[in-house]
Amino acid sequence: MNHRIVVTGLGLVTPIGAGRERVWEGLLAGRCGFSTVESFDTSRHPAHVGAEIKGFQPEPYVRKQDPAKLGRASRLAVAAARMAMEDAGLDPDALDPDRAGVAMGTTSGEPLEVERFDDLLLAGGEGEIGPELATVYPCHTIASHVAREMGTAGPNAMIPTACAAGNYAVAWAYDAIRAGRADLMLAGGADAFSRITYTGFSRLGAIAPDVCRPFDRNRKGMIPGEGAGVLVLERLDRALARGARIYAEVAGYGLSCDAHHMTASHPEGDGPARAMERALADAGLRPEDVSYVSAHGTGTPTNDKLETLAVCRVFGPSPRVPISSVKSMIGHTMGAASAIEAAVCSLAIHTGRIPPTANFLEPDPECALDCVPNEARELAVEVAMNNAYAFGGNNASVLFRRCEAVA
Amino acid sequence: MRRRVLRRVVVTGAGAICSLADSVEDLQAALQEGRSGLKPVELFATNGLGPQQAGEVRPFEPRTWLGDRNLRPVDRTARLLLAAAQQALDASGWTPERRKDFEVGLVLGTMYCSIHTISEFDRRNVQLGPSYASPFDFANSVINAAAGQAAIWHHLWGVNSTIAAGEASGLVALTTAADLIRGGRATAVLAGGAEELCHESYLAFHRAGRLGAQRPVPFDARRDGMALGEGAAILVLEEADAAAGRGAAVLAEVLGHGAAFDPTGGEGSARAMERAVRLALEDAGLRPEEIDAVSTGANGSIEEDRREALGIAAALGGHAAAVPVTAVKSMLGEALGASGALQAVAALGTLRDGVLPGIPDLECTDEGFPLPAVSAQSRPVAARRILITASGGGGHCCALVLGQG
Repeated sequence: MNHRIVVTGLGLVTPIGAGRERVWEGLLAGRCGFSTVESFDTSRHPAHVGAEIKGFQPEPYVRKQDPAKLGRASRLAVAAARMAMEDAGLDPDALDPDRAGVAMGTTSGEPLEVERFDDLLLAGGEGEIGPELATVYPCHTIASHVAREMGTAGPNAMIPTACAAGNYAVAWAYDAIRAGRADLMLAGGADAFSRITYTGFSRLGAIAPDVCRPFDRNRKGMIPGEGAGVLVLERLDRALARGARIYAEVAGYGLSCDAHHMTASHPEGDGPARAMERALADAGLRPEDVSYVSAHGTGTPTNDKLETLAVCRVFGPSPRVPISSVKSMIGHTMGAASAIEAAVCSLAIHTGRIPPTANFLEPDPECALDCVPNEARELAVEVAMNNAYAFGGNNASVLFRRCEAVA
Repeated sequence: MRRRVLRRVVVTGAGAICSLADSVEDLQAALQEGRSGLKPVELFATNGLGPQQAGEVRPFEPRTWLGDRNLRPVDRTARLLLAAAQQALDASGWTPERRKDFEVGLVLGTMYCSIHTISEFDRRNVQLGPSYASPFDFANSVINAAAGQAAIWHHLWGVNSTIAAGEASGLVALTTAADLIRGGRATAVLAGGAEELCHESYLAFHRAGRLGAQRPVPFDARRDGMALGEGAAILVLEEADAAAGRGAAVLAEVLGHGAAFDPTGGEGSARAMERAVRLALEDAGLRPEEIDAVSTGANGSIEEDRREALGIAAALGGHAAAVPVTAVKSMLGEALGASGALQAVAALGTLRDGVLPGIPDLECTDEGFPLPAVSAQSRPVAARRILITASGGGGHCCALVLGQG
C-alpha cells in the first residue's frame, strides 16, 4: 500500500506532431498547429480554424486489431499508448498482464460515429445504419482498445469527465497502483476532432477566429483540437529495479466540483481553488513549493480570468510561479488536453525547461500572471502542478515532482 | 491474505427508479415477487426493430421528487439520476442543511449518458443550421453531463466523477467510490449508475443482433438475447465511523471488490470474471463458502451469460454447486450503465429480507451449467454476504461483495 509512483514513458499525438521528442521540441519552439478546418464544412459558423491532426496513419501502432474497426479517438489513443510503452523501454508482450491496466479520459468518445448515424438517418437511410453506436461509439471502447493492443488484463477504466478527463484518468491510475491493484498503468486521454464539438463551442461563442492567445488582453477564445496523450505510470521500486528512465514522480492530486453551472466556471474560482488546495494537501506540499503550473488556459475571456482568480486564491494575490498554456499551440484537445499537459509537467521537471504561452501580445490586468510569454524558459522545476477544468464543474489538479530517489 | 483496510465503507441510503418501480422498497418487493418490468416500447417508434419490448420507465413523473424547479435544461438520463439521488439523499439523512457543512461526492456509471441529446443536437445542426443547435443541449452532450447536473441540482460539492465501462459501469462506479472513501479522499459519496432508453441505442443494439425475440431468461438454454432497460440507482456510500458518528442507519457494508479486464475481445471474459471474483474475495478476506448468494449480470445473451457463469463458478470452486444465484435483468432488462447499481439495490433487499429473487420462466439450463442453484422462483436464503458481478461488452469484469450492516 501507498507505493510511490513514477512516470517512465510518454506517448503524444498532437496537432503539432507525434512522439515525445517532436512534440516537446515543438512546444519549446512555440510551434502552432492551427489551420482552416478540413474535416467538415464550417461555412455556417463564424469561425473556421481548428487544430486537426493531418495525415495520421494508425497502421504502425494498431497492430493486434483491425484499425478500420477502431474509431478515430481509439486510434489516436492506441498510437499514444504504443509510443509511451516504447518510450518507457517496455515490451507489451513481456508485461504481467494481470498486474497492468489502463485508465483513459475523453470528452466525446467516438463522436464521428454519431455523425455518420445522423447523416444516414437524415438521408432516409435508416436501413443502412449498422451496430456502430453500440460497438464503436461508446467511450469505454477507447480504454478497451488500448488494453487489447497492450494485452493488459488488470484494472481498466474510461473516465469521461470532459476537458479534465486526462487528469482524472491519471488520478484513477495513481490510486489503482497505490492500493496495490496494479503495478503499472497506462493513463491518459484521447479525443477526435468532430463537427459536434466544433458546433457546440461555436454556439457558445468560444472559438477564436485566428489563433489562441491565453491570458492576453485581446484573447478571443479557444481553438478546438484533437489528440491523445498517454503516460506510463509504475511503482518506483519496480522502475528502479529495471533501470527505467524516470521523468517525474506523481506527488498527489485533488478533485472538486463547482456544483454551480454546466458550462460556466464558478465566478470566484471556488472549485478550481479547492482542487489545487486538495492536491497540495495530498502531496504534503505548500504553494511556494510549486515551480511551474500548466494552466487549463483555454484562451476564452472568461476561463483565463477566473482561472487567474483561482490561482491567486491559492498562490497569493500576485503569484510569482510561472504558468503557461500549451493550448496556445496545440489548441484544446479536449479529454486529451490534461493528459498531454501531464506529459508537459513531467518533461518540464525532466528537462529543466518550461514551454511558453504562445501568441501573447498584450498583458491583461485581469490575468496578472507570469504566463511565460512566447519564449520557453530554463527553470529547475522541482514541482509542477497540472490544472484542468471541465463542463459539469469537474476540476482536477495533479502534482508532479522531481523523483528524489534518482536525482 | 486480506489487506488491512482501516477505513470501512457502509451503505447508508439508496434510491432507485426503473421500469418495475420508482422506489427502493417497491423495486425490491417486485423482484422478490417475480414481476417483470418489460413491456412494449412507447418512448419512440420501434417499427421493424425486433421484439419492441424493453424496460421503459413509464409513467415517469420526475416532479414527484424534483418539485417545481425548471427541468428544461435536464435531459432524461439526468432526470432519472436526479430522482434516484433525491431518494438516496432523503433515505440517508443527508439533508440540504447537512450538505452545506459537509462535502458529498458523486461517482456515476453510465454507458451513453445521453446519446439521444448528442444525436439530436447534431441533427438540428446539420438539418437546420448551427443556430438551431442549442448551447443547452451541447452542455448535456458531454458524457459527464448527468453527474454535473446532479451536482448542481443537489449541491454536491465533493469529488465528482463519471465512469464508463459498458454494462459494468454502475458496479465499477460503486467500487471507485468505495476506494475514494477507503483512501481517505472522501467521506460520503453517492454512487451508482444511470441510463436512458432511446431510439439511437435501441437501433444499434438491434442491428448488433443483441436483442432477443422473446422475453430474456438469463441462463436458460433457450435464451436468444437481451432486452434493453433504463433507470437509475444510487447508493450512499459512507465512511463507517462518520456514519456511526451521525447516527445513520447502516443498510450494508462494502466488504470488498475486484476487477479484471478481458483483452481478448470475448473468449477471455470467463477468465477475467474469475479473477475479478477472486480479487473481490481476497479484498474482503472471505472464502468462497462465506458467500451466501450471487447476483449476476447475466441478461439473456447466449455467450456472455455462459462466460460470466463459468468465471464465477471457477472462482467459487466447490461452493459453485450450492450457492443460490440470480439474474435480475430477467425482469429489468439490460439497463446498461445503471444495471450494476440496480443489482446492488436488489441485493440490499436480499440482505434485509433474506429473500433472493428468482429468474422468472427459467426452465432448463445448458448442459453442465456450472451454477446449478438457480431457480425460477424467489426463495429464502440466509444471506449475510452477497456477491454482485457485472461484465461489459468492452471486456470489463467487476465483482463486489456486500455484507449485512
